[in-house]
Amino acid sequence: MISSGGHGIFLQDFGLSLDNSHPKADVVFVSHAHADHLPRNRSCAAICSAPTLAFMRKRGYKGEALVLEWDTPTSLTSIRQHFGLSPSGVHSHSEATITLYPAGHILGSAMIYVESEDGALLYTGDVKTPASPATEGVQWPNHVDELIIEATFGLPIYKWKDTHNIQQEMLTFAQETLDAGETPLFLGYNLGKAQEILHLLQPLKHRKMIHGGGYPYCEIYENAGFTLGEVEPYDRATCEGAILVGPASVLSSGFASNVQRLRIAQCSGWAALGSRRAQNQLDRGFVLSDHLDFFALLEVCDMLKPRKIHITHSPTPDVVAHFLEERGHQAQFLELSMQEEEALDG
Amino acid sequence: MAEVTTQSQATSSTSYSFREYCEGLNHVEWTRGTKAKQGHFVEILRDIQRRGTLDELVLACRFVSEGAFDPQSGLTGRLGARSQGLWVSEYCGIDYEKVFKPCRTATGSGSEAIELLLENMSPPSSKSDSTNKRPRWTLLDMEDAFGRMARARTSSQKKELFDQWLHELSPLEIKMALRMLGGGSLRIGFETRSVLQAIAAYQESSLDQIRYAHMVTGSVGETARLLFEDRLQDASFSLFRPIAFMLASPVDTVEAIDWSAVRLEEKLDGIRCQIHANADRIELYSRDLNPLTHSFPEIVSTLAKSQNLVGYSFVLDGEVLAFDTPSKKILPFLELQKRLGVKKPTKKLLQDVPVVFVAYDLLVIDEKECFDLPLEQRRAQLVELCSHAGIAYSRDFAVGSSQMCTQAFEQALRHGNEGLMIKQLGSPYAFGQRSQHWQKLKEPEGSLDTIVMYAHAGSGKRGGLYSDFTLGVSVIDDDRFSESYIPIGKAYGGYTNAELARMNKEIKKLIVEKFGPTLSLRPGIVVELEFDSIQVNSRTKAGYTLRFPRFRAIRWDLGPDDVDSLRDVERLAQAKSAIKRPSMDTLGESAPIIMPGE
Repeated sequence: MISSGGHGIFLQDFGLSLDNSHPKADVVFVSHAHADHLPRNRSCAAICSAPTLAFMRKRGYKGEALVLEWDTPTSLTSIRQHFGLSPSGVHSHSEATITLYPAGHILGSAMIYVESEDGALLYTGDVKTPASPATEGVQWPNHVDELIIEATFGLPIYKWKDTHNIQQEMLTFAQETLDAGETPLFLGYNLGKAQEILHLLQPLKHRKMIHGGGYPYCEIYENAGFTLGEVEPYDRATCEGAILVGPASVLSSGFASNVQRLRIAQCSGWAALGSRRAQNQLDRGFVLSDHLDFFALLEVCDMLKPRKIHITHSPTPDVVAHFLEERGHQAQFLELSMQEEEALDG
Repeated sequence: MAEVTTQSQATSSTSYSFREYCEGLNHVEWTRGTKAKQGHFVEILRDIQRRGTLDELVLACRFVSEGAFDPQSGLTGRLGARSQGLWVSEYCGIDYEKVFKPCRTATGSGSEAIELLLENMSPPSSKSDSTNKRPRWTLLDMEDAFGRMARARTSSQKKELFDQWLHELSPLEIKMALRMLGGGSLRIGFETRSVLQAIAAYQESSLDQIRYAHMVTGSVGETARLLFEDRLQDASFSLFRPIAFMLASPVDTVEAIDWSAVRLEEKLDGIRCQIHANADRIELYSRDLNPLTHSFPEIVSTLAKSQNLVGYSFVLDGEVLAFDTPSKKILPFLELQKRLGVKKPTKKLLQDVPVVFVAYDLLVIDEKECFDLPLEQRRAQLVELCSHAGIAYSRDFAVGSSQMCTQAFEQALRHGNEGLMIKQLGSPYAFGQRSQHWQKLKEPEGSLDTIVMYAHAGSGKRGGLYSDFTLGVSVIDDDRFSESYIPIGKAYGGYTNAELARMNKEIKKLIVEKFGPTLSLRPGIVVELEFDSIQVNSRTKAGYTLRFPRFRAIRWDLGPDDVDSLRDVERLAQAKSAIKRPSMDTLGESAPIIMPGE
């Protein structure tokens, strides 16, 4: 039923492609609006959550998309009809019921739950549990036969601290930096991580500036009810003394290079690794990830007890499979060819 | 039985603990800027001064810079990386091969993987949240523990000691303790030089005096003790305490050199060596200050005669070379390699690979130190000593222009040497430093067109990209092998980001099989690989390894048929060996080595 390869995952029986557009797909499910999950075909028929569509529009998606509400089962036939596709097209499609669940990765990130006579399949996309703070939370269906789950941090060296504790450390870091008359710069990807940082720092009533690439997404967060505080787009002339947020690439772009003294903090799951610290000349590393850690991954599998688990997006699928098998699960790696991905900061 | 005690429990709760020390060092790691790091280290020292002893102050200086043991103590307590991994895996209940190794690969550091695994996977009875209930070891307890580890003879004794660490120390302490035990860097961006600056600031004393004391004692801990006891003036050089070597920097631009202010020597391709000699004793020391004496008995016996001739003590810096005395020819490094690490050479090996010591600097003569004398004065005294004592020494010379330098460089290569050393006139012997006063001019020895055989996933910054590559040479027409290509080296640098991206795109078309983070590839991509030298290595299939292999270019214009063969590698290695090395006798004025007294 599942085929995978250079075009992501393709559910042939339903003509449904899961992130990235398969040439034979009728409809593409977009789990969230990070570039490595967006369809290459900018006008394909897509299903996704409302915030994801809003982000996609800002990122140049021109097609017709159908927004599905959370936790609201919809028949595949009605989805196909919405796009003017025949209920039984060239390849006669099985009927299925589609439900989106929030994935806690970034605002709008969704898991897709496909129920059919073959059983119930859940594809997580990128997922975080416990959910990242500036998201709709995370919600799991009760019964899953086949689980396709990401394992970006698929090693037991990755275990995240409670976000509330990290938030306190970030607030202290920002306040101490400002008190010393210096300028804090938090590194985070323009969509998702940057707004999460702003949201976490919101208790500090201090002016904040975000990299121009991330600014347009802020209003979508505000509209969804996540307060980000007093945020302006980055302005070189006035950035000194503001709390700055930008992607890691700003380190080599002259961003805020006029500021006398910057204190730079990385906000990423990769900050768990010491080897990365020295390289980047960072002042701090906050292990703030928008992916689930290794232990949460095991817990999710134990909770859902799927018949079969497919692991994606993992540099170390063998380790994940080894642990899952030890716990009585059947697990295998679902190979997606490596894409030239926009560098995400995990 | 290893001694295991729990004396630590007797320690009063107000004393300064190893745990606080490690947390302090963590703070140093997370501080940017040398000055600020020094400031934090000084705070650690002040804290110890308030709550600890002078011995602990000394240990705080030693552990951070030199590791577990005083370099002069001769103690080592290395735990094999594999043993550490196996024991931690057992403690955490994980599979060493399937889990520990991938974690080590991802972190790029065994000790860091151990720290994180202990944080996350410790058995429930000893979870890190109970860290605070664990006994607090003092720095003295830790020194004692290191000493036990050094004295442990068997693996089971070491394991017993390590198990005690696992049960009583925090994950951070274990990471730091393992790094200290290994004697390498703690990787907190705070090394010996900074430690010396920090203790100078702490005691408001003269940095020059501290540096001198460090040089002559060869020990940061000992230097700190002299400083804290206000006895720095007692620090004096003593024979048979090796001195940190002066190192050379690579030449930036030849054009920038003022030729009237430098002297040149040919760069000899041997083993760096420091010799201490008096009437009773002669010792040889390697670049890492370990004794080499027993490896080169013929040098010792020759020097004994020299020492008798002059009748006073001396310390020389120079190079051990494989050298055929009857023909007065330098033998290739490949020959000398056979004697590397051989502590007790057999008679046959002594005959097969004869060696000679060639001096090029003089550090002490007749109990007088010469470090601060300008180069030309040290040289003059060196020449006098060597001529008198019959010790071989390097010839130094001047050139008038970059062009003459190039000629001299080419001549050095014809002599079978590595290149040139360019030394600043008037400069002191900057012990323990990689100084601009000495510059080395070398060229990569060669390059090979190789095939990409395997791609390995990068970690950290290069996660998600294949960034390390195993490169092979062709054995298609080679009867000794049934395969088409065999590995010759692994390289992970020398390419641009754009090239790496293209490489990652291309290798996708060539994947044969995937083993975890490694892809096995069909022959398709050719890389021109540059290296410093070829070394014999019987443990590899090819029989050779390359020193410092790195990408020179990805040859998109070439295909698998263009790849160099193992025969080519053998030819290159032999060509280096077979360079018609001239006899020193035939070179007259241009001989790179002067051999007096014959």
